[in-house]
Amino acid sequence: MMSRDEPFPRFLVWTITLIGFAAIYAPPLYLLAVSFSPALQPGLPSPGEITLKWYAALAGERALLAALWQSVIIAIGTAVAATVLSLLAALAYREMQARRGAWFLIVILPMFVPGVIQGLALSTLLTRAGIKASALTVMAGHLLWAMPFAFIVILTSFAVVRNSYLMAASDLGASRWRQFRDITLPLISPGLISAFIFSFLLSLNEFTRAFYLAGRQNTLPVVLFGKMNSGASPTIYAMSGAIFLVSVLCVGVIAIRALSERR
Amino acid sequence: MKLPLSTLAGLMSAPALAIIAMGLAPLAVVVVWSFWAWDPSTYWIKPELSFAGYAGILEAGRWTVILSTFAKAFLTAAICLLIGFPTAYAVHFLASRRLAVVLLALMTIPFLTSYLIRSFSWRLVLGRTGVINTLLQDAGLTSAPIDWLLFSDFAVIVGLVASYLPFATFPLILAMQRLDPVAIAAARDLGAGFWTVQRTLILPLTISGVFAGFLFVFVMTLGSSTEVQMLGGAGASIVSVMINDVMRVANYPLAFAISTVVLAVVFGLVLLGNRAFGLSRLFEDRS
Repeated sequence: MMSRDEPFPRFLVWTITLIGFAAIYAPPLYLLAVSFSPALQPGLPSPGEITLKWYAALAGERALLAALWQSVIIAIGTAVAATVLSLLAALAYREMQARRGAWFLIVILPMFVPGVIQGLALSTLLTRAGIKASALTVMAGHLLWAMPFAFIVILTSFAVVRNSYLMAASDLGASRWRQFRDITLPLISPGLISAFIFSFLLSLNEFTRAFYLAGRQNTLPVVLFGKMNSGASPTIYAMSGAIFLVSVLCVGVIAIRALSERR
Repeated sequence: MKLPLSTLAGLMSAPALAIIAMGLAPLAVVVVWSFWAWDPSTYWIKPELSFAGYAGILEAGRWTVILSTFAKAFLTAAICLLIGFPTAYAVHFLASRRLAVVLLALMTIPFLTSYLIRSFSWRLVLGRTGVINTLLQDAGLTSAPIDWLLFSDFAVIVGLVASYLPFATFPLILAMQRLDPVAIAAARDLGAGFWTVQRTLILPLTISGVFAGFLFVFVMTLGSSTEVQMLGGAGASIVSVMINDVMRVANYPLAFAISTVVLAVVFGLVLLGNRAFGLSRLFEDRS
């Protein structure tokens, strides 16, 4: 919707908007640019000296790569579990009448629980129960962090499933299961894919819970945190920059596709 | 077309079990344990009623960390609203459709990127040899680097705002989408200027979005830790970092007591907010 506001307020609104986006994006993008500079001291590379040498050096960083591998495994496990459980939660939400507000709140609530407290609570309980910290315990911590986001994404994707479709199928004799498999599932599959990728990224990038729950093999953010605080090196910029870029591209593509379809 | 109750229970059971086993049960246990006494012989707690953990909050200036956490959360939420409201207005009222889609995508991305990397990258901007200090010195505005830019409360607030800004912007955009464009057009036709429309129409009608945005940022800041760990000064703390510090010496009762206080505030605020403006309505499809 275009409006007819006076020039000065428009200018003011756009300036503040720009400041907000700059605050979110300028520092990580600067970090990304720095990672292409050959110098050891952080600074922008001049166009002639752009280099990938720090990215090449990543291949020799065994600790970082082992941590990345661990993080990817955990993220895949988390994403599978979060997508399936959120789908079930969303299906239940659709069928509910009176209590759906409460159900929504219960699924969303873990998003607001501070990571340190969630991590501490779960890790203390697991230790007391004699369960050793491992990739599985990190997944357990990440599951509830990813589920609220996956749940909301799947719930929005249900908007295209009209009740009339299901009723028509039911009139033609399709069972509930048949309706789900042949109508609902194909229609919401883009939402399921988005939910999977979102959960994957949330787990991959999660630090505070993993800090408490990781076993002998730390996850990537935990290793990065240690290295960031003990004299950052250009390879840290390269790894951070690469992870940031991959996350942005994944979400960007999904978000723009989903949003432009809706309008 | 009502689903039999057993099927509904079947759908709910797996997610509900996960939420209880990994979320609610551990938190409930922590709340109970916060009232148990420390047992030096086992390095663990024993089931004996004790308020030692809560007494510990009042010692060593720990309550000042809790107060300063609230102050940080309040300030961050207020700044996020000041930036988020114009942003939501720009996205909904000023931007063309295509630009609005791009801006909405740019607002979604930060939820899923690393808070750690984003906080860390501010070091390169605010540090002694960072972008801002270099620019200031090149422009001849200062002769020596400004020290308070990094490892200070200033840096922490900047990092927190950059981290949680989308939590304020989204509810505001959703609230503005529910506005009736006819009402605004009518106000314009009757001669109301930009500020009059904002004050008498848009702000009052989106006030639930304003409260929701404030609440989201406030609650997220209460639980934040990375921004302080990456950008705070030597003595800087926030409750989550304080819990980390307390756990380093395995002071379980104190860590549990602080956690319980924070959880009570967080859950209280979210439930209050939910009662006031129904969080699920924010995401309900309006098609």
